[in-house]
Amino acid sequence: MKAFFALFRIDMKLALRERSLIFFGYMFPLLFFFGFAEFLHADRGGAINYVVSMVLTMGILGNGLWGAGMRAVQEREANILRRFKVTPITPTPILLASMVTGWLLYLPAVGLVLMLARTMYGMAPLAHPVSLFAMVSLGVMAFRAIGLIVASVVNTMQETNIAVQLIYMPMMFLSGATIPITVLPPSVQTFSQFLPASYLVTGFQGIFLRSETLAQNWAPALAMLVTIATGTFISTQLFRWEKGEKTRKSAKLWLLAVMAPFLAMGA
Amino acid sequence: MPPPVQVQGLTKSYGDFQALKGIDFEVHAGEVFALLGPNGAGKTTTVEILEGLRPRTGGSASVLGFDPETQKQALKDRIGVCLQDTNLPDKIKVAEALTLFGDFYERRVDEDNLLKRLQLWEKRDVFYAHLSGGQKQRLALALALINDPQVLFLDEPSTGLDPQARLEIHALVQDLRVERRTILLTTHYIEEAEKLCDRVAIVDEGRIVAIGTPREIQARTMGHSTIEVLCEKPVPEGELPIWTGSERVALSADRHSISVTSRHPGKTLVELVKWLDERGIELADVHLKRPTLEDAFIELTGKRLRE
Repeated sequence: MKAFFALFRIDMKLALRERSLIFFGYMFPLLFFFGFAEFLHADRGGAINYVVSMVLTMGILGNGLWGAGMRAVQEREANILRRFKVTPITPTPILLASMVTGWLLYLPAVGLVLMLARTMYGMAPLAHPVSLFAMVSLGVMAFRAIGLIVASVVNTMQETNIAVQLIYMPMMFLSGATIPITVLPPSVQTFSQFLPASYLVTGFQGIFLRSETLAQNWAPALAMLVTIATGTFISTQLFRWEKGEKTRKSAKLWLLAVMAPFLAMGA
Repeated sequence: MPPPVQVQGLTKSYGDFQALKGIDFEVHAGEVFALLGPNGAGKTTTVEILEGLRPRTGGSASVLGFDPETQKQALKDRIGVCLQDTNLPDKIKVAEALTLFGDFYERRVDEDNLLKRLQLWEKRDVFYAHLSGGQKQRLALALALINDPQVLFLDEPSTGLDPQARLEIHALVQDLRVERRTILLTTHYIEEAEKLCDRVAIVDEGRIVAIGTPREIQARTMGHSTIEVLCEKPVPEGELPIWTGSERVALSADRHSISVTSRHPGKTLVELVKWLDERGIELADVHLKRPTLEDAFIELTGKRLRE
């Protein structure tokens, strides 16, 4: 625990010293928020609930896949993790500190979007704010776990960019996060049932559009929870300290394990 | 009490390539021991196996009684390591780095004292990215010492540093030597090994080709001491005599300078000076060039260290 808290403290300090955090963490979601709000006339007919759900999903996908994944690879490429490797710590506190830091840093963005939605576009007060907090938390942790697995299996920054794009883009456009699922062809609708982001979108839509609780959205919440557990476990197993360490081919099969809950639920 | 570092028949293969072909050595308590060899000789592979960073293919290794392959965590808690090619995040401050790494160990020394000792106190609030190469290396040493280790591994501690920074690192290692810490360092700098180490193992192509004190290794090439004499006036025409111990004698074209290679340079020098005195030739300058560790290395391996 001592190592976890030490890493968490330093992760927070380092993140707050990065100017890119302000842009990618807070400005970027706001750009999307205002863009979609104006485009979809969010001040009419409750469309703002849909916009907020969309912006939060996009933010969580970015926070997890780009934030956690890229940073882990950067630290490995820069031989920073190699320095940690000669100490007695294991990968677990490093990964947990990354997940908790990403979660904490994302919460102000959620607050900001909700405040602007309420004050500028007249969004009704949330019926179940605790459920939203829980769903946001589960979502951030789940997608950071996926991001850390991606970081473990790719070998270079270039590969990371490609891998993250390959995961990020389908989740953005085929999960209902940006394009309503109902307008997509039936085959794509079936495919989207296998995407982790679809469950996050379903969870948010339940909370924002139908004023449901987390308990009423148990299926998406469970999917996120299972993803966190399997994702964290798998990323500790696949963790690589040095750029010279190549992933065992068999290790990449672990990726199927993290997809298992979505394959099961989609089927 | 067994030596803190024991290595027997250590081998390491990467596919068909054999990086280590059976290495044997021991490092005694309080000793500074160097693995000296060119890049690719197997020095870093050896220490990384001992640090628990990579598995061995064969042989046995023990550090402080721990097997580096099966007792990694316990071993890492007790040793200090200064690696080649590592970094810290650009925006971590010097003092923060020490605090962070201190929290990874069961035992830690006072950080402020460590910063002062390594001349980093003034830099404690400076970002890592803003440190010079020498300061980064001093910080790497500070991190290696944060847990007050009994055994220190220093992998090429002064490579890439300017001469001033290299001297600072040498002074720090000499301080650690005074404290009787056991140190295993790798280097391809002959002068570093000669200056800092009690014993040296010369490593070439995955094997130890010589092991002993720098003086013992140099002694193997004693036949190659060279005496160079510069005379005030030309040496007269005629053949030069064979002085005791001399093996090869050369006279410069202007006949002012004599170069003698000798197995017994003391005796040869006395006879040479006497011979010149008898001919009324005064000495302008005398140089006695003892064989260096580099000469020993060339003789043992047939190649230069920096090849």
